[in-house]
Amino acid sequence: MNSTVKAKYSPASFLGAFLKKISKANKTYGVEWWIMIAGIVIVLFMLFTAFFPQVLAPYLPGDQDAGTQLEAPSMQHLFGTDNLNRDIFSRVIYGSRTILGVAFAAAFLSSIIGIPLGLISGYAGGVFDRILSLVMDSIYSFPGLILAIAFAAMLGPGVVNITLAVSVIYIPTYFRLVRGQVLTLKEELYVEAARSIGAGDSAILFKYIFPNVIATVAIVFSLNIADAIMTEAALSYIGLGLPAGIPDWGMDISIGKSFLPSGVWWMITFPGLAIILLALGFTMLGEGLAEILNPRLLEK
Amino acid sequence: MKRILILMLLVFISIAVLFTGCKKKAPEKVTLVYGTTEKVTDMDTASAYDFHTWEIFQNIYQGLLAYKPGTTELVPGLAESYTVNAAGDEYTFKLREGLKFTDGTPFNAKAVKWSIDRVMALEGDPSWLVTDFVKSVEVVDEYTVKFILPNAIAYFPALVATVPYFPLNPNVYPEDKIVRDPSEMTGGQLVGLGAFKVSSFKRDEEVVLDANPDYYGEKPKVDRIIIRYFADATTMRLALESGEIDLAYKTLNPSDIKDLSAKSTFTTNKLQGPYIRYICYETSESIFKDKLLREAMSALVDRQDFIDKVYLGQNAPLYSMVPMGMIYHTDDFKSVYGDANVAKAEELLTKAGYSASNPLTFTMWYTPSHYGDTEVHLAEVLKEQFEKTPMVKVDLKSAEWAAYKDKWKSKEMPMYLLGWYPDYIDPDNYTAAFAGTSGSKGMGINFSDPEWDALFTQEQTNPDPKVRQQVFEKLQKMWTVDVPTTPLYQGNLYVFTNKNVSGVKIGPTLIFNYNQLDITE
Amino acid sequence: MKGLLRYAITRILMTIPMLFILLTIVFLVLRVMPGDPVSAMLGAHAPERVIEEKKEELGLNKPILVQYVNYLGQLARFDLGNSMVLKQRVSAPIKEKLPATIELTFWGMVFTLLIGVPLGAYAANKRRTGRDFGIRLYGNIAYCIPVYWMGLMLQLIFGVYLKWLPVAGRTSPRMLSSQFSKTGFYLFDTLLAGNMRAFNDVAIHLLLPSLTLGIVLSGIFVRLTRANMLDVLKSDYVLAARARGVSEKLVVYKHGLKNAFIPILTMLGLQFAILLAGAVLTETTFSWPGMGRLLMERIYLRDYPTVQGVIVVFALMVSVISLMVDLLYAAIDPRVKY
Repeated sequence: MNSTVKAKYSPASFLGAFLKKISKANKTYGVEWWIMIAGIVIVLFMLFTAFFPQVLAPYLPGDQDAGTQLEAPSMQHLFGTDNLNRDIFSRVIYGSRTILGVAFAAAFLSSIIGIPLGLISGYAGGVFDRILSLVMDSIYSFPGLILAIAFAAMLGPGVVNITLAVSVIYIPTYFRLVRGQVLTLKEELYVEAARSIGAGDSAILFKYIFPNVIATVAIVFSLNIADAIMTEAALSYIGLGLPAGIPDWGMDISIGKSFLPSGVWWMITFPGLAIILLALGFTMLGEGLAEILNPRLLEK
Repeated sequence: MKRILILMLLVFISIAVLFTGCKKKAPEKVTLVYGTTEKVTDMDTASAYDFHTWEIFQNIYQGLLAYKPGTTELVPGLAESYTVNAAGDEYTFKLREGLKFTDGTPFNAKAVKWSIDRVMALEGDPSWLVTDFVKSVEVVDEYTVKFILPNAIAYFPALVATVPYFPLNPNVYPEDKIVRDPSEMTGGQLVGLGAFKVSSFKRDEEVVLDANPDYYGEKPKVDRIIIRYFADATTMRLALESGEIDLAYKTLNPSDIKDLSAKSTFTTNKLQGPYIRYICYETSESIFKDKLLREAMSALVDRQDFIDKVYLGQNAPLYSMVPMGMIYHTDDFKSVYGDANVAKAEELLTKAGYSASNPLTFTMWYTPSHYGDTEVHLAEVLKEQFEKTPMVKVDLKSAEWAAYKDKWKSKEMPMYLLGWYPDYIDPDNYTAAFAGTSGSKGMGINFSDPEWDALFTQEQTNPDPKVRQQVFEKLQKMWTVDVPTTPLYQGNLYVFTNKNVSGVKIGPTLIFNYNQLDITE
Repeated sequence: MKGLLRYAITRILMTIPMLFILLTIVFLVLRVMPGDPVSAMLGAHAPERVIEEKKEELGLNKPILVQYVNYLGQLARFDLGNSMVLKQRVSAPIKEKLPATIELTFWGMVFTLLIGVPLGAYAANKRRTGRDFGIRLYGNIAYCIPVYWMGLMLQLIFGVYLKWLPVAGRTSPRMLSSQFSKTGFYLFDTLLAGNMRAFNDVAIHLLLPSLTLGIVLSGIFVRLTRANMLDVLKSDYVLAARARGVSEKLVVYKHGLKNAFIPILTMLGLQFAILLAGAVLTETTFSWPGMGRLLMERIYLRDYPTVQGVIVVFALMVSVISLMVDLLYAAIDPRVKY
């Protein structure tokens, strides 16, 4: 960790420094700053479509009288229509709600499980730490999607189920990150000092160590959402995602696939572009944050 | 390292570019290449239970009885004739004399008994088609064989025409083991009594069938049929378009069928298949134990609408569980409910105590891959149709096939979508399996009514066609009142061939007689 | 060298608990999953008696713990067991599908490096220019492209519109793999058989899927190469070369890249898991008869032993690659001591 963060250890002062640093960053970091801003703009736009889809979408996502069958994109239907006469533009807009919801919930769930485990494991050390690390490392080193496929097949389709399946594979990401930081931080002088004046373990953990982990967590959280978006879409694409009736980009691509030889390009192209844009938004946000807060993180 | 990588890429690309589409020289034999996305399962009548493998068996072996190509009319096969005793529980078949399997083994009553006993003993998937209906088989003399049934079975001749009843060559098949590949057999060759013989077998790649010179019946018009297996419909469609295959059958995507039908370079053979789709209700415990609701759902369904949207117009609306083209079929659901009859549905729902402010809410289940990618869309369109009235709210849920089966057994699904291929060609197989007490339980419908069961027993045991007709017409009327299931559509089959191919005859039996096929240069 | 050997042995032993943990997870997940192989396989007509008999025969009626211990015992004898759905050994389909996946992954990797490394090095050289920014943007976008979507787009362009390349499978329908297949690595097999027509056919079928993987994964490598190159370019060694008057191009692409290569190689090991996941999705898009499709098929059929077998093989592949990279790293870099 760099020295400025080390000195501050109360959550409030940390947050202040965090915001101050970000607000000053555009002078120090040219391109990175703009990458982050672009990411924020994309993310905000997508959040807007997720919360207020009716503002942009001319039709309801399930409306089977929106147009005629398999219309190519036109002014009437910007992204064309599918074989159920539905407006693909509206489906893409409404679909952002589904995928963002799942990705946020999954990332949140894995962080609130992964972070405390990492904190405790790293701080406590010993056999407990070693066993937990081994389990987490095993999951981490294995292709996440393949594990998610197994979990999704076990749980069956559904919003909650797919969220669980996605979140499982990201717990080790948070665990490893936090544990690694705790291992360094607990040797720091100010932690030693706190211990010498008689601070208890939980006080040290949550008052002195945890606040210093937040910055990295914020970065990883943003990148993790991008990953979770890709995983959700992939599970939906192979048919392990959500049940019918919920607009879902991955599922729409998989259905559009059979129309591909007929030259119906619009059923797959637009939901795919939406996935790229959304994932890109969170990646750029995360990378911009990383460059500003902790330049070495992503290269490790 | 970088240099090696670049070198590898260069080699790779240059070779790819070098590729020139050299075509095989024309073979001397009259050959027809048949493409499919199906898979061959076990090359054994005791274990195979899918239409593609059965189709191959129907061309390399023969049943005691067979179907006239393209119809549901039973004609003599390996048996010249048969007689039934007065009680209807003993069938005696007189076999054709002097036939030999290609390796010289004579075909006789012993071979028939041996084959049937083997299917019963091995207890493979389709063995119930024999064990449920046959008590024992007796060899009367060299060319006479007698089937003793536990009770009278009116449609037994239709059963005898199914693959598990086919006589095998006892010198080739092992008695106590199911065979998967022909290579596991004595002599490594699959030779039967049918119009073709297997001359090469490469699983998931190709099966080569050559005309059997010893075949007693109508000689095939082509010398060789090569069945090629495709992993997906898109590749098969492109192979047909590029002329790599002469015939494509099972299963192209609706969009491919639409495009290919529009092209004048191919012949489109559209056939009425025996495949039906329908809605099931759990009728003993779920919300749908009230038959008014099942009636209301039947009124709301709009068949042409989902056929147009989901299947691009390629299947036929079905108004009875007995499909069109099958004996005794009637259209009762059409006259009683019609399609998208919202007024009638609202009347029924009101009677059942529901209203717009107190809507009927239930979960409809579907299974996403077992019936193809289109199933999601079928569920979505049905939901939309049910919700045409504000008195209905539908939730959609799905489960993979294995879980789906568990769920219907545990009565978890109030409404669910299923499909049916017949096991044997008789209306009984389309009705008793869903509304007879034991069949219905197996499908998760749990419909049970003594009056219905009595009618099923009557049609099952009385061989008189007039009586059976009356019973089936009555049953189809009752179906619209008690609605154990709601019929949706009957699948059409599409066989696309090059212009020079003729003789594609596939009837409601789904039997594809390759000896009818012809190809001109 | 002795240290290296000891390290290698420790590393190999360390993969055992990892395998064990993954297997335990997958074993439990499969048993909790609704549906079982018997009901998935038998028709709706199968009487309860037959179902019970089959379950008994497959050992599914035993307590899960017993099943688990039995399975581990079997594995310890290097036996993956029999499929519960088809009459075959678990090893049979794996032997058949694994080469397809390895071939796809290998060429995917080659394309990844061919696209990612030069672009990354170039961007590092042109640091903080428009071109650098453009390449970094490419890297970010490529990383966010769903691999199956990329595959579909390439199919649409090269298969449907231009009709240049086949869109699915490993060979043309008229090209029978049984005529040349020995190892299952078709590119190698066709060369071995001297069948150039088959080799061409195999190569053009391999092109789109491996290119798809290559493009999508090149994103990560652009970033990694760029970052590592920047470090190297700042090093004393490069500064010295510059001071000696070595031309800038030579400094960057020869001295720079050579030194950045070791960290890139390490990353390759770490990214292998992502590559495998990508391969699974590519297989579904291109109907590639590999391990990914086998896994999906058998999950649906609830074929427990085969699914477990596939997971074991995937885990082994990941461990072997990371082991190889580690050892290579240790062998190349004299500073690393174990």
